[in-house]
Amino acid sequence: MKKLRDRAAELLSQGVVSLVIGYEEGTKRPRPLFCRNSESAEKLIFDSRCFHNLAVYITKKELVGKERFAVTAPISTLRSIMQLYVENQLSEEKLLVLTVDLSGELREFTTFDEIAAYVAQFELKRGEREQGILSKIEAMDRAERWKFWMEEMSHCFKCYACRSACPLCYCSKCVVEVNRPQWINPWPAPLANMEWHINRAMHMVGRCTACGACGDACPVGIPIDLITRKMMEDMAPEFGYVPGQPAKQGNALSSWKLDDREQFIR
Amino acid sequence: MSSNTDFEPKIIAFVCNWCTYAGADLTGTSRLKYATNVKIVRFPCTGRIDFLLLLKSFAQGADGVIVSGCHPNDCHYTSGNFHARRRWIAFRSVLDLMGVDIRRIQYSWVSAAEGSKWADLVNNTVADIRALGPYAEYQKVADYLEKEGYNEEA
Amino acid sequence: MSKIGVFICHCGENISATVDVERVAREIGGMEGVAHAIDYKYMCSDPGQTFIKEAVKKYDLDGVVVGACSPRMHEPTFRRACAEAGLNPYLCEMANLREHCSWVHEKSEETTEKAIDLVKMLVEKVKKNKPLDSIKVPVTKRALVIGGGIAGIQASLDIANTGHKVILIERDPSIGGHMSQLSETFPTLDCSQCILTPRMVEVAQHPNIKLYTYAELESLEGFIGNFKAKIRLKAKSVNYATCTGCGACIQKCPVKKIPSEFNAGLGTRTAIYVPFPQAVPNKPVIDRVNCNYYKRGACKICEKTCQVGSIEWDKEDEIITEEVGAVVLATGFDVKGTDFFPEYGYGQYKDVLTGLQFERLASASGPTFGEIRRPSDGAIPKKIVFIACAGSRDPAKGIPYCSKICCMYTAKHAMLYQHKVHDGESTVFYMDIRAGGKNYEEFVRRAIEEDTVNYVRGRVARVYEKNGKLIVKGVDTLLGGEQVEIEADMVVLATAGVASCGSELLAQKLHVSYDPYHFFAEAHPKLKPVETNTAGIFLAGACQAPKDIPETVGMASGAAVKVAALFSNDELVREPVVAVVNRLAPPLYSTCVGCFMCETACPYNAIEHEEIKGRDGSLIRTIARVNQGLCQGCGTCVAFCRSKSIDIQGYTNEQVYAEVMSLLND
Repeated sequence: MKKLRDRAAELLSQGVVSLVIGYEEGTKRPRPLFCRNSESAEKLIFDSRCFHNLAVYITKKELVGKERFAVTAPISTLRSIMQLYVENQLSEEKLLVLTVDLSGELREFTTFDEIAAYVAQFELKRGEREQGILSKIEAMDRAERWKFWMEEMSHCFKCYACRSACPLCYCSKCVVEVNRPQWINPWPAPLANMEWHINRAMHMVGRCTACGACGDACPVGIPIDLITRKMMEDMAPEFGYVPGQPAKQGNALSSWKLDDREQFIR
Repeated sequence: MSSNTDFEPKIIAFVCNWCTYAGADLTGTSRLKYATNVKIVRFPCTGRIDFLLLLKSFAQGADGVIVSGCHPNDCHYTSGNFHARRRWIAFRSVLDLMGVDIRRIQYSWVSAAEGSKWADLVNNTVADIRALGPYAEYQKVADYLEKEGYNEEA
Repeated sequence: MSKIGVFICHCGENISATVDVERVAREIGGMEGVAHAIDYKYMCSDPGQTFIKEAVKKYDLDGVVVGACSPRMHEPTFRRACAEAGLNPYLCEMANLREHCSWVHEKSEETTEKAIDLVKMLVEKVKKNKPLDSIKVPVTKRALVIGGGIAGIQASLDIANTGHKVILIERDPSIGGHMSQLSETFPTLDCSQCILTPRMVEVAQHPNIKLYTYAELESLEGFIGNFKAKIRLKAKSVNYATCTGCGACIQKCPVKKIPSEFNAGLGTRTAIYVPFPQAVPNKPVIDRVNCNYYKRGACKICEKTCQVGSIEWDKEDEIITEEVGAVVLATGFDVKGTDFFPEYGYGQYKDVLTGLQFERLASASGPTFGEIRRPSDGAIPKKIVFIACAGSRDPAKGIPYCSKICCMYTAKHAMLYQHKVHDGESTVFYMDIRAGGKNYEEFVRRAIEEDTVNYVRGRVARVYEKNGKLIVKGVDTLLGGEQVEIEADMVVLATAGVASCGSELLAQKLHVSYDPYHFFAEAHPKLKPVETNTAGIFLAGACQAPKDIPETVGMASGAAVKVAALFSNDELVREPVVAVVNRLAPPLYSTCVGCFMCETACPYNAIEHEEIKGRDGSLIRTIARVNQGLCQGCGTCVAFCRSKSIDIQGYTNEQVYAEVMSLLND
């Protein structure tokens, strides 16, 4: 961590970057930190408790400004950064990525390929929590699943924290804010909530890297990150992408193969 | 509640102009008969069909939906149906995870020459949906503003 | 509040027999936003259309819905009527009450209610319709034809004869293509060069055609009517402005043993060369790879011989830019070499030839002056075996398709051989005989019956050399699979026709689709054989699929007509059913965030990047813009856009949403 602080301070004082986004100790747990000078870099921390997906700040132009900036990125953030590159939201000249690998070494990346090579070592696997809930859902039949999700959806009150926390939800005007026509009913009722989450899952096809930020952000603890995670897992073999390893081949939905499955089509 | 013989399903069909719409025209020209439950909405291509429209259909009272376009490789716009196919694969998977009854969405390829296939498709889909009964489970939660919430027993 | 006019047609009795049309008109007439609703026997007739036009004026209608037959039938009719009455034609829609209702249901309450629902749906849609104007794109009336074989030549002549300018580029030193290599053509046995060379000369002399040989396309930018082509003029090392074509340099060139491409490797040529005597232009180029001067700085004999000083040693490739409005692809095909066949010798047996090599032997201007002689020892072969379908129709070799012309040219080759070597014996091993063209079947019959060519139905498993002969081991399936072994003096393989070298790269440069075999893809296999999915780029000849000369010439003329049609107006007028990315006032500029998923999805490359710049010139962001000249209106991009920033005129989100919502609100 000292190496990280020193390097961040160095980058800022030399003017290589105008901003380092990292983590600091919050009152209860680590939280994001925005260092604009080398003194504030002293507060940087980086350990396994740092879970917020910092990539969410990358597309906020008023925050990062026009000059080069750096991000200290754990694995989940790295995956999101790769996806942002693939989607034209980020260019290699603008971002410098710092991370600390498993042996404690400070690593620095400037190109997509460097990040991809590093991330390729880490397989995206379900944790205990994910496996627990998902295996329960997978064992249910259709009617039981509907009941389960309707019960969960009854808690949602459309705070859209999930949308705010997701680094890939960077649309300046979200589809829920389109009212001509009103595609998704804005009020917090079970079906309107269900429509929102189905929409979110569909917008994440081929893009989600299962960082879990949405599930973490939900103030009422609905496991919405499992919807997108399960969809990501199921679609990977169908559409030929490796979960958690964004590649420059184009979005899964806007490309196609001649032999895409179609047994369900009459 | 089991489906009764008085129940007439309401089904919307989302079709592409160049193949299925023309195929349905051929059904008409051939004077083949099919059930009245299906109403057709015309799109330039299946690629244009937004999945949100299907959700809206169920919310508004449809018991079933048909989505139909050109066979792979025959799309008037080359690849619209390929994109649509991918979208449907993903959509079915998401809906199934959430417990939406995907048996109520019938996807198909009907070309401009397949007038009889369209008639069969409509009749078979109407029969299938009639057997499944009205999509009460979905419509109940859709009528939020008029009725109570989701956990009433059917 | 809308003022929509609704017109329900009886269509004689076609609709009124099963649908209560008066009730439909009455109930729709009571809908909010409907100012006028009638029913009438024949809406498409003159009086029917007059009703519409009068109503538009009398009730000041801002929308029209006609409940009648399929819009695929009469939408243009009613839209024209509205336009004549002063109402924008895109404010008129049709409800399909005949093909989709009255003709497919029995007379019943449900049928009439369905008709009412269908009309209601279109009324709700029309409330959201916006007036649209046709899109106009300017057109540069000059065509670029890539490829100077018979396809390119025919297309160039046809376009030039309509009065438009053509630029024809050919990568070889002469135009003519494979047709110039043929000795005689089937089914007439016309001398190929005799019928081709007059056309070649016409191309060279036509005032409307600018010919660039030894030239290749470097890049193509732009879109239909407005292309910018960069063409690389390869350095010929000879100044064509001063060269007289006397040929003295060629005679004196000391490098004489380069395998001749024109003779399919059977003959030789010099380093400074004209590919064949009838070449157009009939001036040489220097092959820099093999020329002694370029290799080691020695020689320069041609320069000393040249009486007008036309040799230019230091000339470099030149890149020129031409503005054109349409492109015709006529890059032709190649054939597989004998080295493709391990079972027939891997190309090592000198007397195993391809069909094209046999053509050169048979040709009077070929390496043997028209005598059929074995390349190995110059002897006249007494027994020739022709193997049809060598490589074609063979999924195991990666070529599952039929090369179309081989059955015919194999029969031709066998006939030519029999005519030249009266006591020769020729055998053709075939799978099927495909002779579908005019006089083709009779031609093959002639080979079998008059010229005594022996046709054996079966394949050849192996050819190997033994004591100077080629042992051909085949089978005769019509005799129950009896093994056939022939000691042949020469074997001719009708090798598969494949896309010409460099097709894939060219297709990628032009954004033209191609199939797994690198043949260019036509826009529709039945109805649009000469167009591609890239607007403004057309196809002619074997670059699309193997084909014979009459088909090639027909297709080339077809492509020329498409180009002429494009050039017949100063502006290209297109239906306005195209996509549009929204634009807002600064600082938003658009809700588009520039993810360009739409660009990946568009089959027509119609999405462009637009840079939004601040007043100081700095880049704010890059967003999507639709090129209205290219967009074909499929709407796939619209369904993809997560932020709903792109919409398609004529099927907007509001329109389709209104349709769906109206259908289910009882």
